[in-house]
Formats: sequence, structure tokens, C-alpha cells
Amino acid sequence: MSCAGDISMREPDATPQAGRRTRAPFIRIEAVHKAFAARQGGELMVLDSIDLDIAENEFVSLIGRSGCGKTTLLNIIAGLDAATSGRIAIGERPVTGPGQGQGVVFQQHALFPWLTALGNVSFGFRKAGLPLEERRERSLELLRLVGLEAAANKYPREMSGGMQQRVSIARALALDPQILLMDEPFGALDELTRIELQQELLRIWQARRKTVVFVTHSIDEALMLSDRIVLLAPNPGRIQRIFEVPMPRPRSRTEPAFNALYDEIWSELSS
Amino acid sequence: MNARLARAASSLAVIAVLLAAWELAVGYGLLKAYQFPPPSKIARGFVELSLTGFPTGVSLWTHTGVTIWRVLQGYVAAILLAVPLGLLIGALPVLDKLSAPLIVFCRSVATLSLLPLVIVWFGAGELTKVVLIGYGCFWTMLSNVIAGVRYVDPVLVRAARSCGLQGPELYREIVLPAALPRIFAGARMALGVGFMVIVGAEMIGTIQGLGALIMEARTFYRSEITIVGMLVIGLLGFLISSGLAGLERVLMPWAGNLDQVRR
Ligand SMILES: Nc1ncnc2c1ncn2[C@@H]1O[C@H](COP(=O)(O)OP(=O)(O)OP(=O)(O)O)[C@@H](O)[C@H]1O
Ligand SMILES: [Mg+2]
Repeated sequence: MSCAGDISMREPDATPQAGRRTRAPFIRIEAVHKAFAARQGGELMVLDSIDLDIAENEFVSLIGRSGCGKTTLLNIIAGLDAATSGRIAIGERPVTGPGQGQGVVFQQHALFPWLTALGNVSFGFRKAGLPLEERRERSLELLRLVGLEAAANKYPREMSGGMQQRVSIARALALDPQILLMDEPFGALDELTRIELQQELLRIWQARRKTVVFVTHSIDEALMLSDRIVLLAPNPGRIQRIFEVPMPRPRSRTEPAFNALYDEIWSELSS
Repeated sequence: MNARLARAASSLAVIAVLLAAWELAVGYGLLKAYQFPPPSKIARGFVELSLTGFPTGVSLWTHTGVTIWRVLQGYVAAILLAVPLGLLIGALPVLDKLSAPLIVFCRSVATLSLLPLVIVWFGAGELTKVVLIGYGCFWTMLSNVIAGVRYVDPVLVRAARSCGLQGPELYREIVLPAALPRIFAGARMALGVGFMVIVGAEMIGTIQGLGALIMEARTFYRSEITIVGMLVIGLLGFLISSGLAGLERVLMPWAGNLDQVRR
């Protein structure tokens, strides 16, 4: 995987942070509330006044305790769930459903059990109007990218959790979405594969100019990847603090700035 | 392979020991022969049934063939009705809500309690038997088809929607395949119901069929003939069920070994 070269190509560009301040927000989340009907009647408030603007090509991570509403927020941006109140727009268009440029990698891998790995990835190309042969070629290419070429003809039940997760990443990439919404996509992977895929994701993000919203439980991962890290507090889910990550890429875990930020996020998270 | 042979051999040995114990128990007068006909008598009953027939002239093979044909007609008719109807009801939540009480009610009515009524409607001929079998199979199949399409993993639906599918396309390409395992399970259950109903359905107006055979044997206190009839019904159910399981594996290789999950 050749990530270093691509990352340095980005250097002459303005840093993403600077870009975000001058450009109009791309994903605009305004006063979003989400409540679910509780089983004992009444409502369970899950998201409380979420305000967040995300710029085009920005890489934003969401972190926070389990159950604080990260998946819920991602689903709302994906257009798969409606907010109880508030506004959410992509570009200037209010989000009314999926298919406005969002591609999703789900927390549960959500592969179609009756399709092989290849079939699942190729499913992402359905709406692209490609000839069958090209769909196949490109799907294989994506499988190669996530290191699963050899598993092309396996069904989901024949794959390990981490393999399934990689197939679902490949399927989301097949959609070639403007916006990648990823819910703990590297959670089930071994350390080495995780780091390889992180670098691959950065490469794709820079080469294809995507906007990424990335849910993770790993502060380290968020620091390696993101322009900004949004820390959510639970009960009800709300934004506790937003951290800017100013270090240029490629980043190193040994930099003092990296560690200082790590400590700051850690103490905020555990407060 | 060796382990499998060993397992088969050991279960055969267990059966052989049980049969021998049974035979001896009757021989020593611990069990009464007319209540528990010993294996040797059952074997003789089987020979009589296959050669002479019971009642005379109607061989075991005729009984079996007639029964299979009746079950098949009722079963196939039930499936042909239940699958499209179930797919329709499952697709429209309103229909599902409206029909649910009726379906639970009809499924719970013991099929054989309908016998007198069905005779009044259709007479005591073939049609009555097929209708009864069909009735039993139908409700089992219908509720399984509906459940299959209603309870598709919502995460799969979300994944498909995020890939741009909606409406009929979503139903055809995601809901249908996702419901297939449940639909197949329903088809197997319905077949079981069909064989359960058959004895009662063949109680009247016929001397042919395994159910009729069992009733006729009862009249003459021929318990060993009853047992042969019972065994054949069990064997048929087993064979057809294995056939369906094999078909499932061919049609849905992705679903894994459903057998192990379901038993
Ligand atoms: N469909 C639903 N009905 C009722 N409550 C729900 C529903 N979906 C989520 N919740 C509740 O909303 C809260 C947030 O859930 P969510 O899945 O967004 O958390 P999360 O931050 O993604 O957690 P995790 O890190 O464990 O994935 C939880 O308390 C959960 O119980
Ligand atoms: Mg989650």
C-alpha cells in the first residue's frame, strides 16, 4: 500500500482546517434532536441539540461512550433515520433519505448472506450503470484493496468477523460516495490490518476528495486520521467538546503534539 | 468418514438391543402381544401387507401410493396459495395487522375438527381428504411466509437502502432472499402437518391409504399392522423432509447447515 506518496502530494494544498473556515459547510447539522419511544411509554432522548458543520473533504471522527448516540447520529446523516426535530442538509439540500451522496459502513457488517464477497461488493455498483464485466473487475479491485481477493467467492457465513467488515468497507467504496459514513469500521480487525486499512482510507480520502464521518472508540485511531474529533457525552447524547487535530499527515504516534492531544482527549472523555 | 461410520454403527446397535429386549419381554410374558406386538410379529405383518395386502388385495404399496398422492395434492395446492398470499400480506403492514388474528385463529383450529363440516361441503370422497390436508398445510405455510418477509433483519434493509434500493426492487432483491430460509422451514413444517392430518383425513369413506389401513387394523385388533402403517408414515415424512433439506442446501448454499440450527 503506497500511502506516503499520496499524502505528501496533499501538502501544497491548504490544510483542511483552514479550508473549513473559509468554505461553506457541506454537511450542516442544526439543533438535531432524536428521541425513541421508550418501552414503558414516554420517550428516550438520545440526541440533544446537536449542532455540527462539516466542510467538504473534511475528516471528522465521533468518539464517546457506548450508547451515547454515535450510530444514531450517523444514521440520521445517512438519511436512514429521521431526526425528531432539527435540520440537516448536505450541500444546500435537506436530507430526506439515502442516496444524496452518502455511503455507509455499518457497525454490524450488514452483508447480504446470499451473496458472495464479490457479489456484495458488486452490489455497491448496482446504480452505477456499468456493464457486468466492468462491475466484476472493479469489485475485484476493491477486494484486493481490502486484502480479500482470495475470498471473493466466499459467503459471509464462511468469513471471519474482520473479513466481513472489510467486505462491507469495499461495498461502501463501490458506491463511490461523496460522503463516507463509517461506524467503527476497523473495530474487529487485528492491529496490522487496522493500520494498513487506516492508511488506505487516508489515501482514498485524499485521492478521491471525500468527506468522512468516522465513528471509533480508539482515541489513537481518531488522532491518526481526523481533522477534527467530536467528543459526544451520553444521556442524552450531546457534543461535549470538539478537538482540532493540527498535525500534518503522515502523523506519528511518537510526536509530542500527538501525545499531548491524546492526554487531553483522554482526560475529557473520562471526566 | 470413519467417525461417521462408527456413529451409525453404534446407533444401529442401540436399536438392535432395544428390539431384542422387546422381543424377549413379550416372549417372557412381561408385555402383552396384542398391546405390544413383538418385532417378529411386526415383520410378519409387513410381509403379509406387502404380498397379500390388508384388507386382502390392497397392498402396502397401494396404501402408500394413495397416501402420498393425497398429501401431495393438498400440500402443493396449499403452497401454491400460501406463498403468493403470504408475500402480499407480508409486503403490506396494514394487511398483516388486519389478517393476523384470523390467521392465528384458523391455524389453531385443529384440522380434524373440521372433518364433519368438510364432509357436508364436499362429500366423503377424495376432495374432502385433500381439502383437509390442504387446510392444515395452508395456515402453517402462510404464517411462515408472512413471518419470513416481515422479520427480515432491519440492518440488511438499511444496507440496501443506502445502496439506493427502494420499493418493489428492495422487496424483490433483499426481502425475498432474506425470507427464503424461513419460507423453506415453513414448507417443511407444512409437510409435517400434512402427514399428521392424513390419518384422520383417511378415516372415512376409503379403505385405501395409510390412515385407512391404520383404522382398519384397529377394527380387527391387528396392532402389528397399525405399527407398520405408523412406521411407513414416519419413514415417508423423514425421507421427504431429508429431500427438502437437500434441496435447501442446493438452492441456498449460503444459508449454511440449516438442519443443525433447527433441530
Ligand atoms: N431503535 C431504537 N429504539 C430505542 N432506543 C434506541 C434505538 N436505537 C438506539 N437506541 C438507544 O439510543 C442510544 C444510542 O444508541 P447508539 O446505537 O446510537 O449508540 P452508540 O453511540 O452507537 O453506541 P456504541 O458505541 O455501543 O455503538 C442507546 O441508549 C440505545 O439504547
Ligand atoms: Mg454504535
